[in-house]
Amino acid sequence: MKVFSTAITFDYSWEEVSTANWQKYGPWNDKASHVIAVDTLNRRIDPTTGILRTERLITCKQSAPEWLKSLLGHMDTSQVYEVSYVNPAAKTVTMVSQNLTLANLVNVQETVVYKPLNAHQTQFVQDARITALCGGWQRIKNSIEDSLVTRFKENAHKGREGFESVLHMSRRAFAEERLKVQMAV
Amino acid sequence: MSASLAQECNEVKERYDTCFLKWYSEKYLRGNGKTDDNECAGLFKDYQKCLKVALKDRGIDKLLEEAREDTKENDAIHMQRK
Repeated sequence: MKVFSTAITFDYSWEEVSTANWQKYGPWNDKASHVIAVDTLNRRIDPTTGILRTERLITCKQSAPEWLKSLLGHMDTSQVYEVSYVNPAAKTVTMVSQNLTLANLVNVQETVVYKPLNAHQTQFVQDARITALCGGWQRIKNSIEDSLVTRFKENAHKGREGFESVLHMSRRAFAEERLKVQMAV
Repeated sequence: MSASLAQECNEVKERYDTCFLKWYSEKYLRGNGKTDDNECAGLFKDYQKCLKVALKDRGIDKLLEEAREDTKENDAIHMQRK
Protein backbone atom coordinates (compact mmCIF):
# COMPACT_ATOMS: atom_id res chain seq x y z
CA MET A 1 0.00 0.00 0.00
CA LYS A 2 1.14 3.55 -0.78
CA VAL A 3 -0.20 6.74 0.78
CA PHE A 4 -0.54 10.21 -0.66
CA SER A 5 -1.50 13.14 1.59
CA THR A 6 -1.74 16.86 1.09
CA ALA A 7 -3.24 19.92 2.81
CA ILE A 8 -4.23 23.20 1.15
CA THR A 9 -5.66 26.42 2.55
CA PHE A 10 -8.29 28.31 0.53
CA ASP A 11 -8.92 31.99 1.30
CA TYR A 12 -12.70 31.54 1.28
CA SER A 13 -15.18 30.86 4.06
CA TRP A 14 -16.29 27.29 4.76
CA GLU A 15 -19.79 28.18 3.52
CA GLU A 16 -18.38 29.38 0.18
CA VAL A 17 -16.10 26.37 -0.18
CA SER A 18 -18.77 23.83 0.71
CA THR A 19 -21.16 25.42 -1.81
CA ALA A 20 -18.59 25.67 -4.61
CA ASN A 21 -17.59 22.08 -3.94
CA TRP A 22 -20.84 20.93 -5.60
CA GLN A 23 -19.70 22.73 -8.76
CA LYS A 24 -16.09 21.65 -8.59
CA TYR A 25 -16.20 19.74 -11.89
CA GLY A 26 -18.50 22.15 -13.72
CA PRO A 27 -17.67 24.54 -16.57
CA TRP A 28 -15.96 27.02 -14.21
CA ASN A 29 -13.16 24.51 -13.72
CA ASP A 30 -10.91 24.52 -16.79
CA LYS A 31 -8.50 22.04 -15.18
CA ALA A 32 -10.95 19.17 -14.92
CA SER A 33 -11.54 18.18 -18.53
CA HIS A 34 -10.88 14.55 -17.51
CA VAL A 35 -14.16 14.55 -15.54
CA ILE A 36 -16.90 13.78 -18.07
CA ALA A 37 -19.92 13.44 -15.76
CA VAL A 38 -21.00 13.78 -12.13
CA ASP A 39 -24.25 12.08 -11.16
CA THR A 40 -26.03 12.18 -7.83
CA LEU A 41 -27.25 8.71 -6.87
CA ASN A 42 -28.72 9.30 -3.45
CA ARG A 43 -29.19 12.16 -1.05
CA ARG A 44 -30.69 12.39 2.42
CA ILE A 45 -30.59 14.46 5.56
CA ASP A 46 -30.28 12.75 8.91
CA PRO A 47 -33.18 14.22 10.91
CA THR A 48 -31.37 14.10 14.25
CA THR A 49 -27.89 15.36 13.32
CA GLY A 50 -28.79 17.43 10.23
CA ILE A 51 -25.93 15.74 8.36
CA LEU A 52 -26.43 15.77 4.58
CA ARG A 53 -25.30 12.48 3.02
CA THR A 54 -24.79 12.36 -0.74
CA GLU A 55 -23.74 9.50 -3.01
CA ARG A 56 -22.27 10.44 -6.37
CA LEU A 57 -20.88 8.65 -9.38
CA ILE A 58 -17.99 10.44 -11.06
CA THR A 59 -17.14 9.42 -14.61
CA CYS A 60 -13.64 10.22 -15.89
CA LYS A 61 -11.79 9.86 -19.13
CA GLN A 62 -9.40 6.97 -18.74
CA SER A 63 -5.94 8.41 -18.18
CA ALA A 64 -3.84 5.49 -16.99
CA PRO A 65 -0.34 5.28 -18.48
CA GLU A 66 -0.12 3.19 -21.67
CA TRP A 67 1.80 0.30 -20.10
CA LEU A 68 -0.82 0.01 -17.37
CA LYS A 69 -3.68 0.20 -19.87
CA SER A 70 -2.24 -2.63 -21.93
CA LEU A 71 -1.82 -4.64 -18.75
CA LEU A 72 -5.29 -4.04 -17.40
CA GLY A 73 -7.27 -3.81 -20.61
CA HIS A 74 -8.29 -0.79 -22.63
CA MET A 75 -11.27 1.21 -21.47
CA ASP A 76 -12.48 4.66 -22.40
CA THR A 77 -13.83 5.71 -19.04
CA SER A 78 -13.29 4.97 -15.38
CA GLN A 79 -15.69 5.54 -12.52
CA VAL A 80 -15.45 6.63 -8.92
CA TYR A 81 -18.06 6.16 -6.19
CA GLU A 82 -18.10 9.00 -3.67
CA VAL A 83 -20.05 9.43 -0.44
CA SER A 84 -19.96 12.85 1.17
CA TYR A 85 -21.14 14.05 4.56
CA VAL A 86 -21.85 17.70 5.29
CA ASN A 87 -22.06 18.39 9.00
CA PRO A 88 -23.46 21.91 9.32
CA ALA A 89 -23.08 22.01 13.11
CA ALA A 90 -19.41 21.01 13.13
CA LYS A 91 -18.82 22.79 9.79
CA THR A 92 -17.13 19.91 8.05
CA VAL A 93 -17.46 18.33 4.63
CA THR A 94 -16.02 14.82 4.47
CA MET A 95 -15.84 12.98 1.15
CA VAL A 96 -14.89 9.32 0.91
CA SER A 97 -14.24 7.93 -2.57
CA GLN A 98 -13.16 4.70 -4.15
CA ASN A 99 -12.65 3.39 -7.66
CA LEU A 100 -15.39 1.27 -9.23
CA THR A 101 -13.35 0.50 -12.31
CA LEU A 102 -10.77 -2.29 -12.01
CA ALA A 103 -11.70 -2.63 -8.35
CA ASN A 104 -10.55 -6.26 -8.38
CA LEU A 105 -7.01 -5.18 -9.36
CA VAL A 106 -6.35 -1.96 -7.53
CA ASN A 107 -8.07 -0.24 -4.62
CA VAL A 108 -7.89 3.54 -4.33
CA GLN A 109 -9.47 4.99 -1.20
CA GLU A 110 -9.53 8.73 -0.93
CA THR A 111 -10.71 10.88 1.95
CA VAL A 112 -11.07 14.65 1.67
CA VAL A 113 -12.07 16.91 4.55
CA TYR A 114 -12.92 20.61 4.30
CA LYS A 115 -13.04 22.49 7.59
CA PRO A 116 -12.82 26.17 8.56
CA LEU A 117 -9.54 27.59 9.86
CA ASN A 118 -11.31 30.88 10.66
CA ALA A 119 -14.22 32.92 9.25
CA HIS A 120 -12.35 33.59 5.98
CA GLN A 121 -10.20 30.53 5.42
CA THR A 122 -10.90 26.84 4.82
CA GLN A 123 -8.55 23.91 4.97
CA PHE A 124 -8.61 21.03 2.50
CA VAL A 125 -6.98 17.81 3.69
CA GLN A 126 -6.62 14.92 1.24
CA ASP A 127 -5.48 11.43 2.01
CA ALA A 128 -5.31 8.61 -0.54
CA ARG A 129 -4.45 4.97 0.03
CA ILE A 130 -3.50 2.94 -3.01
CA THR A 131 -3.28 -0.83 -2.90
CA ALA A 132 -2.60 -3.05 -5.91
CA LEU A 133 -4.38 -6.35 -5.43
CA CYS A 134 -3.01 -8.66 -8.12
CA GLY A 135 -1.43 -11.70 -6.52
CA GLY A 136 2.29 -12.43 -6.36
CA TRP A 137 4.07 -9.99 -8.66
CA GLN A 138 5.44 -7.53 -6.13
CA ARG A 139 7.32 -5.53 -8.77
CA ILE A 140 4.19 -5.01 -10.84
CA LYS A 141 2.19 -4.14 -7.74
CA ASN A 142 4.80 -1.54 -6.78
CA SER A 143 4.79 -0.06 -10.28
CA ILE A 144 0.99 0.21 -10.31
CA GLU A 145 0.97 1.87 -6.88
CA ASP A 146 3.83 4.23 -7.77
CA SER A 147 2.22 5.32 -11.01
CA LEU A 148 -1.05 6.10 -9.21
CA VAL A 149 0.75 8.07 -6.49
CA THR A 150 2.45 10.08 -9.25
CA ARG A 151 -0.96 10.73 -10.79
CA PHE A 152 -2.28 12.01 -7.44
CA LYS A 153 0.73 14.33 -7.11
CA GLU A 154 0.21 15.75 -10.60
CA ASN A 155 -3.52 16.20 -10.02
CA ALA A 156 -3.11 17.88 -6.63
CA HIS A 157 -1.73 21.03 -8.26
CA LYS A 158 -4.29 21.04 -11.07
CA GLY A 159 -7.07 20.35 -8.57
CA ARG A 160 -6.13 23.37 -6.50
CA GLU A 161 -5.90 25.69 -9.50
CA GLY A 162 -9.19 24.47 -10.92
CA PHE A 163 -11.06 24.80 -7.64
CA GLU A 164 -9.62 28.31 -7.07
CA SER A 165 -11.27 29.45 -10.30
CA VAL A 166 -14.59 27.81 -9.31
CA LEU A 167 -14.44 29.63 -5.94
CA HIS A 168 -13.69 32.91 -7.67
CA MET A 169 -16.58 32.54 -10.15
CA SER A 170 -18.96 31.33 -7.47
CA ARG A 171 -18.23 34.36 -5.25
CA ARG A 172 -18.83 36.63 -8.24
CA ALA A 173 -22.09 34.91 -9.17
CA PHE A 174 -23.43 35.20 -5.61
CA ALA A 175 -22.44 38.88 -5.42
CA GLU A 176 -24.30 39.55 -8.69
CA GLU A 177 -27.31 37.65 -7.38
CA ARG A 178 -27.35 39.77 -4.20
CA LEU A 179 -27.07 42.95 -6.24
CA LYS A 180 -30.04 41.90 -8.40
CA VAL A 181 -32.10 41.21 -5.28
CA GLN A 182 -31.17 44.60 -3.81
CA MET A 183 -32.07 46.41 -7.04
CA ALA A 184 -35.43 44.66 -7.15
CA VAL A 185 -36.34 45.73 -3.60
CA MET B 1 -23.05 22.20 -13.68
CA SER B 2 -21.53 18.94 -14.77
CA ALA B 3 -23.15 16.65 -17.31
CA SER B 4 -24.81 13.31 -16.61
CA LEU B 5 -23.20 10.12 -17.87
CA ALA B 6 -26.46 9.59 -19.75
CA GLN B 7 -27.11 12.35 -22.25
CA GLU B 8 -30.87 11.80 -22.10
CA CYS B 9 -30.81 12.74 -18.38
CA ASN B 10 -28.92 16.02 -18.82
CA GLU B 11 -31.92 18.29 -18.91
CA VAL B 12 -33.62 17.03 -15.77
CA LYS B 13 -30.25 16.75 -13.99
CA GLU B 14 -29.48 20.39 -14.76
CA ARG B 15 -32.85 21.46 -13.33
CA TYR B 16 -32.30 19.39 -10.20
CA ASP B 17 -28.70 20.60 -9.68
CA THR B 18 -29.78 24.24 -9.98
CA CYS B 19 -32.58 23.69 -7.46
CA PHE B 20 -30.27 21.85 -5.06
CA LEU B 21 -27.54 24.49 -5.14
CA LYS B 22 -30.03 27.24 -4.36
CA TRP B 23 -31.57 25.20 -1.55
CA TYR B 24 -28.10 24.31 -0.16
CA SER B 25 -26.76 27.86 -0.09
CA GLU B 26 -29.94 29.70 0.86
CA LYS B 27 -31.61 27.24 3.21
CA TYR B 28 -29.52 24.30 4.32
CA LEU B 29 -26.42 26.28 5.31
CA ARG B 30 -28.62 28.72 7.21
CA GLY B 31 -30.26 25.95 9.21
CA ASN B 32 -33.58 26.14 7.37
CA GLY B 33 -33.47 22.92 5.36
CA LYS B 34 -33.87 19.98 7.68
CA THR B 35 -35.92 17.50 5.69
CA ASP B 36 -35.68 15.53 2.46
CA ASP B 37 -39.14 16.76 1.56
CA ASN B 38 -38.14 20.09 0.01
CA GLU B 39 -38.71 22.01 -3.23
CA CYS B 40 -36.17 19.86 -5.11
CA ALA B 41 -37.67 16.47 -4.19
CA GLY B 42 -39.86 16.18 -7.31
CA LEU B 43 -37.00 17.06 -9.64
CA PHE B 44 -34.75 14.56 -7.88
CA LYS B 45 -37.32 11.81 -8.44
CA ASP B 46 -37.51 12.61 -12.17
CA TYR B 47 -33.71 12.66 -12.45
CA GLN B 48 -33.39 9.31 -10.64
CA LYS B 49 -36.02 7.71 -12.85
CA CYS B 50 -33.92 8.59 -15.89
CA LEU B 51 -30.55 7.77 -14.30
CA LYS B 52 -31.55 4.35 -12.91
CA VAL B 53 -32.31 3.07 -16.42
CA ALA B 54 -28.95 4.38 -17.69
CA LEU B 55 -27.01 2.75 -14.83
CA LYS B 56 -28.73 -0.58 -15.40
CA ASP B 57 -28.12 -0.48 -19.17
CA ARG B 58 -24.42 0.07 -18.56
CA GLY B 59 -24.13 -2.55 -15.83
CA ILE B 60 -22.97 0.06 -13.33
CA ASP B 61 -25.81 -0.70 -10.90
CA LYS B 62 -24.13 -3.95 -9.85
CA LEU B 63 -20.74 -2.30 -9.27
CA LEU B 64 -22.47 0.33 -7.16
CA GLU B 65 -24.19 -2.30 -5.03
CA GLU B 66 -20.79 -3.84 -4.25
CA ALA B 67 -19.25 -0.46 -3.46
CA ARG B 68 -22.15 0.38 -1.12
CA GLU B 69 -21.69 -2.91 0.68
CA ASP B 70 -17.91 -2.25 0.99
CA THR B 71 -18.30 1.22 2.44
CA LYS B 72 -21.15 0.67 4.89
CA GLU B 73 -18.97 1.18 7.94
CA ASN B 74 -18.07 4.70 6.78
CA ASP B 75 -21.61 5.79 7.60
CA ALA B 76 -21.17 4.72 11.22
CA ILE B 77 -18.04 6.91 11.43
CA HIS B 78 -19.27 9.98 9.57
CA MET B 79 -22.97 10.13 10.44
CA GLN B 80 -22.30 10.74 14.11
CA ARG B 81 -22.88 14.02 15.87
CA LYS B 82 -19.43 15.43 16.67
